[in-house]
Amino acid sequence: MTQQTTYQDMHDAYLLQVKHKSDKLMNYFLFSFFTAGLGLAVFYDTWLVAIGIGGLSLVAYYATKWLLPDSDAYQYIVSLVFGIFMAQYIYQMHGLFEMHFIAFIGSAILITYQNWKLQIPLAALVIVHHATFGYLQYLGYDKVYFTQLDYMTLQTFIIHGFLATIVFFICGLWAWQMKKQTEVQIEQTYEMGRFQEEQAQRNALLQSNEELRKSNKELDRFVYSVSHDLRAPLSSMLGVVGLCEMGEMDPFIEKNVSLLKSSIKKLDGFIIDILDYSRNSRLEVDTQEVHFADLLTDVCNNLKFMCTEDQRKVEVRTKIENGVAFHSDRSRLSIILNNLISNSIRYQNPQEADPFVEVSVAITASSADIRITDNGIGIESKNHEKVFNMFYRVSTQSVGSGLGLYIVKETVEKLNGVIKLESEPGKGTVFNIHLPNLAS
Amino acid sequence: MEPKSRKVMVVDDNQIDLYIAEMVMKTTKFADEVICMGSAREALDYLKPLHDRPEELPYLIFLDINMPEMTGFDFLNEYKSLPENIRKKCIIMMLTTSLDENDRKLAEENVFVQRFLNKPLDKDKIAQLK
Repeated sequence: MTQQTTYQDMHDAYLLQVKHKSDKLMNYFLFSFFTAGLGLAVFYDTWLVAIGIGGLSLVAYYATKWLLPDSDAYQYIVSLVFGIFMAQYIYQMHGLFEMHFIAFIGSAILITYQNWKLQIPLAALVIVHHATFGYLQYLGYDKVYFTQLDYMTLQTFIIHGFLATIVFFICGLWAWQMKKQTEVQIEQTYEMGRFQEEQAQRNALLQSNEELRKSNKELDRFVYSVSHDLRAPLSSMLGVVGLCEMGEMDPFIEKNVSLLKSSIKKLDGFIIDILDYSRNSRLEVDTQEVHFADLLTDVCNNLKFMCTEDQRKVEVRTKIENGVAFHSDRSRLSIILNNLISNSIRYQNPQEADPFVEVSVAITASSADIRITDNGIGIESKNHEKVFNMFYRVSTQSVGSGLGLYIVKETVEKLNGVIKLESEPGKGTVFNIHLPNLAS
Repeated sequence: MEPKSRKVMVVDDNQIDLYIAEMVMKTTKFADEVICMGSAREALDYLKPLHDRPEELPYLIFLDINMPEMTGFDFLNEYKSLPENIRKKCIIMMLTTSLDENDRKLAEENVFVQRFLNKPLDKDKIAQLK
């Protein structure tokens, strides 16, 4: 839409320029016509006619222009005025045949406006003038001064009219063609400008895209290095703790070492959470076929090391109904399942004889529904909304970073999915995740 | 197949991690001899002259990824061009703190790499390797 108005603006601006230029020319021509009329008055003493008709014509023209500056009516008036000057000159020169050519001069001048319709008033006036005066002369009126011939045959009259019509027609044609050509030029200029603008925009976009990609890559590199450099000493500490645990230890030392170990693990978990968060928010979704059985095996293997300490083993049950291939981002699914299953292990109910977490997956051509059920301590309903918030931890006994479920929610949303929570304290928690099948 | 001499090499720029790996393997009797290499370059320089004494080669190499000057992947690139009898003898395992998917993928794609392990090396992980 804006595109069209800009073209229209350009079009109007150009035509306005043509109009101004032509208007200026008209001043000179009209002045010359008037002066020429005065000059002709010398021959047959027609001062009254030269001043009266010529003057009235000029008044008519300038008055229209002054009264209706926004309309192009004055252009039609100037067309009439040229016709009147022709008639005036013919009269002043007592029907001198060459004075008929004045109409052609007017017709040619009018081309400058690039409007073929301006030929019409002139042509109409010429027809009316010739018909009237020709007829009056035919009737034998004296002092009509239409032609120097005593008698003008119909054939001469017709040829005269026919040639005049051709001149008007051709001048109109040129005006029309000039206008068309002007419009084509405007359009080309406009298209060219638009093209250059688009090109500039595209270049700017490409450049900022490139910059973004670069900074994204640098950030990725940064996150990678920082996480590695932060985690490397932690893993060394865990290694040393592991060495201590392999030997015999005084119970006091043993207790302290285990406290040290849980702190190190907590810090490491926190760094991993931040890493997962940063990965999820920056990296593109990498769609591939996901085999839930393999994925769950991997996730459980990773978690095996987690429940070795003071916590009881939690049975992980899986139920997968697949008939259709499911496509999504495997590493993001891994983050989701890892966080949810580890939460179930972490927040198991000590009163429950048989702690479990059940992961059931139902896949269709359009989506996957993942349901993670546990019989853990559960979440109070007033906290259901808040658990997905960043850094929210339910109680002081919470051991995590407060990022886990926030990351889960962010990751699910990145996969265009929805996560819902049902939970009752003492009974357990159910997470329902609905993910679209991203098979293309 | 039980190797004759259970010689293991560990390549890591971190002295503490070298110490941990050595201690864990010795305490669990996983290896008789642990060769600790502080850089990938040092490890390659150690392996190269052994092509005519293959019996002295380690049967396992634990390789770190993030090391200055020459990373674990740089090591693998150069390892490719070592004589075949060296390559046939040694099994390489990546031992790293990295959780990066790309690192794991790159390691798994490499024909010389048998496993991808996360640090620290402890008795449970060693038990899985046995």
